[in-house]
Parts: sequence; structure tokens; C-alpha cells
Amino acid sequence: MMKRLLVIVVAVVCFSWASVGFAGDLMIFSGAGLIKPIEEMRANFANHHKVIVDVHYGSSGEIFAAVAAGQPCDVLIPGAEKYTEDALKNGWVIGDTIRTVVLHVPLIAVPKGNPANVKGFMDLVRPGVRVAIGDPKAPAIGRVARKMLKKAGIWDQATKNITVYAPTVNQLLIYVALKQVDAAIIWGDLVTWAEGKGKLEVIPIEKQYNIIKTIPTAVCTKAANKNLAHKFNEYIASDEGLRIWEKWGFEPCKK
Amino acid sequence: MQKVNIFKISLTAVTFFITLLLVLAIGSLFVVPSLEDIRQNIWNAEMRYSLKLSLVTGLISTVLVMLFALPVGYALSRFHFWGKGFVKTIIDMPIAFPELVLGLCLLLLFGNTPVGKLLSALGLTFVFTKKGIVAAQFFTALPYAIRIMKSTFDYINPRIEFVSRSLGYSMAETFKNISLPLAKNGILASTVISFARCIGTFGTVLILAGGSYMKTEILPITLYLNISYGNMGMALTSGIVLMVVSFIAIFIFEKTEVGL
Repeated sequence: MMKRLLVIVVAVVCFSWASVGFAGDLMIFSGAGLIKPIEEMRANFANHHKVIVDVHYGSSGEIFAAVAAGQPCDVLIPGAEKYTEDALKNGWVIGDTIRTVVLHVPLIAVPKGNPANVKGFMDLVRPGVRVAIGDPKAPAIGRVARKMLKKAGIWDQATKNITVYAPTVNQLLIYVALKQVDAAIIWGDLVTWAEGKGKLEVIPIEKQYNIIKTIPTAVCTKAANKNLAHKFNEYIASDEGLRIWEKWGFEPCKK
Repeated sequence: MQKVNIFKISLTAVTFFITLLLVLAIGSLFVVPSLEDIRQNIWNAEMRYSLKLSLVTGLISTVLVMLFALPVGYALSRFHFWGKGFVKTIIDMPIAFPELVLGLCLLLLFGNTPVGKLLSALGLTFVFTKKGIVAAQFFTALPYAIRIMKSTFDYINPRIEFVSRSLGYSMAETFKNISLPLAKNGILASTVISFARCIGTFGTVLILAGGSYMKTEILPITLYLNISYGNMGMALTSGIVLMVVSFIAIFIFEKTEVGL
């Protein structure tokens, strides 16, 4: 009886090790804000090629650091091109595999009914408007928000209104939906779902203030299975891939 | 005879196996960064801010937690009242559900509700503030403190209290002069565990207080922020500081020998 118990324990331990060993044919690092389209493409790709695709979602800074620390990554898809450019400089991604796929457009999200009557970018510095932005060092949207406010020359005034610097993009959505802030600077694609459900409203940022980013994909130099990594990379930027991006509110670069 | 031995050996082996894994996991936190790195990180402005804020909020929260845990623990241990089962279930619930859920509940409560507005009018704004950190820590640690206080009072023989009352002390005097001194070890244990729990609260603080850099940043937030900045040295250093706090807390707790 005890022997059998021991055997079971040993078997479980061995099995859990084995399953770790065999996990995944392809490892993707993706910005957390891209989860909806990437998940759909991951499932399609895995089905079509009969392979296991694992995706690690994190803030752009976090996945960039993970690649820097030498964690196994085959395809890198951060939330802004700056990270891929830096990765290229350090020799972590293969230059001619970089594809700029879709636009990442920042906008202002306000709670339903727009309680502070925010009409444009300059309203963010009106006294009494509570503003949320991403932490400028963590998610890509935080860095972009600070850049836009600085470019418009209103960063110092804006900091008086900023009540929270959220470490994750998802917090921004919760705070707007629960009316804890009057406005948040956020990626357009992130609010398509919540806007559709009538939880919040969207105010476009005027062209002269806005900084529109592109989302790149690239194969890593250390990719274990280069062939498969290339196929996934191409699929992300293919016409079929772009249709999925569009479905989730992203705008293809080509248009 | 032999059977007993195999039983004993295999169970001890499993125990050692798990302990070894834990030792390796904890040890790796100390092995990876260089000492010079840790020294620099500890004196860095962000770390000092976060450490100070953690200690101040942690101490305030612990005092508040104990102020409530003592009467509630005593009431649950000694008195029978209507709805006691319900009260116990509700008070224990935060132990079982994730901190993020608790944070969301508190955000909803202190947000745009009559309760939130009333508290705001009294100067108690909890959303995105340092007071919010205290509130988050309070609700996260309270159930643990109440549990320990209840079991402490459970172990004190009520006959001693009856004797005290028969000799002339009132109920309140008995509590103050007899029960509290007897519960000394339990109070120490409960305080230490509450403090460790407060210092370690992450999810509740992240949602309710926002977790803003150098604003509502406490140690677990420093750890998380620096992971997302990609600054592993700082993340590891805050991890080590948290680990040291919990180690001291568990060490004192084990010394006091009370059951949970």
C-alpha cells in the first residue's frame, strides 16, 4: 500500500517535470494590451499547424526585460516600436523579420455621461478634472501619455490633475468605468469592447497633440524553431491576420 | 514493523523534498543579485520612500486591526448571540477570496456610493490615497488577527474568569485585568502576523490606492513596478526586504506557540 503511494508520488513528480519539458513548440512574448487579437491568432495558428503555441503577456517594459534576461522567446510583439528598435540594436531580434502591423492610437476615455465635460486634449489640465494615466515607465501607453503632454507643453499642469499612475493598463479601464477618474489616456483598441457595452465614452485626441504608434512583430535571434517562428511572424502580418486585428479595433498600417 | 518504517520514511522524504524546494526558491532570491547591487538599491530614493511608507502604513494598520481584533475575537470566543454563525463566516471570508476581489469590493464601496461620499465629506478619502493603503491593509489583515485572538481566548479557561467575577470584578474589569494578561502571547502573535500581512498586502492596495510610483508605493508595489520597468535588481531587493520582514514575523509567531 505504502509502496503504491510512493510510486504515485514519484510518478506525479516525474510527470509534472516531463510536461514542463515538452511545453510549447513556440513561445511568444506579447504586450498585454494585444491579448484579444493575439489569442485568436494563436488558436488559429496552433490548429492549422498542429503545434502548441505559448504566449506570455506582460507590460512592454516587462517582456522587453524578460528577453534581455535571456528568457526563451521566439517572436516578440511589444506595444510600441521603440522596444523592437532597442531589441534590434542589442541584437535580440532579426532585422529583416520586423513587420509593422497595426496602428496604436491613443485617445481619451471618459465615464458614461462625461461628468467633467472633457471635449479635447487641453481639457485634461482644466482645474478639478481627475485624470488617470499609465505609469510612464511601465506600460507603453504611460510613456506615450507623458510624451504627448510634454509635447503639448502641459505636463507640469497635468501632473496636478493626475490622481493615479496605474502600473497596468487594465486598471485605467476599471477606474474610468467606475467613475473614479474623469478621464484616462488609453489605447483606442482597448476601449472598443467597453465602449460597445456603453460603459464609457471616447474622446479623440486632436491631431496636433496625438502621437500614433505602430505595433511591430519580429523573430528573435535566439528562436529555437526559426522556421515556425517565421511562419507565425508572417501570419501576424498577413491579410488574414490583419482582419483579426481589425475585428478587435486595431487599424492596419497599410491603409 | 517494516511497513511502519516505509510509511515513516516516505512521509518524511516528502516533507524534506518540499522543504528543500522551498529553501532553494527562497535562497535563489538571495543568490542572484550582488551585495553591492542590494546596498545601492536599499539607499535609492524610491526604495527609501517605499520602505518608509510601508512601515508607517503597516504600523497604523496593525494598531487599528488589533483595536478591532481584541473585542471581536473575545466576543466570538465567549458570547453566544443571534447570527454568530453568519458573522463568523463573513469575517473569515476575506481569507479565502483573492486580494484583487477585496480591492475591487473596497473600490466600489468607497467610490461613488453614499458610504464613500459620507466618508469623503469627513475627510476620509480612500481612493488613490495613502489612507487607502491603510484601509486596504486593515481589511486584508483583520480576519487573520480575529482568528488568532478567538483561538487564544478559546484556550483560556472560562473558570478563571468566573472566579474573578465571583471575587468582585465586573465583566469589563475581568477582561482588562485577567483575560488580557493571560492572552499576552496570543496578542503578540496576532500583532506580528497582522503586521506581516499588512506589509505584504498587494492586490488590495493596487486596486484601491492605485499603486502610483512614489505616491502610493509600498514594498510589494515597488517589487511589481520594477518587474514591469524591467529593473530586476530593485525588484529582487524589495523581495528580500519583504522576505526578511516575514521571516522575523514567523519566527516570533513560532516562539509564542499559539495555534491558528
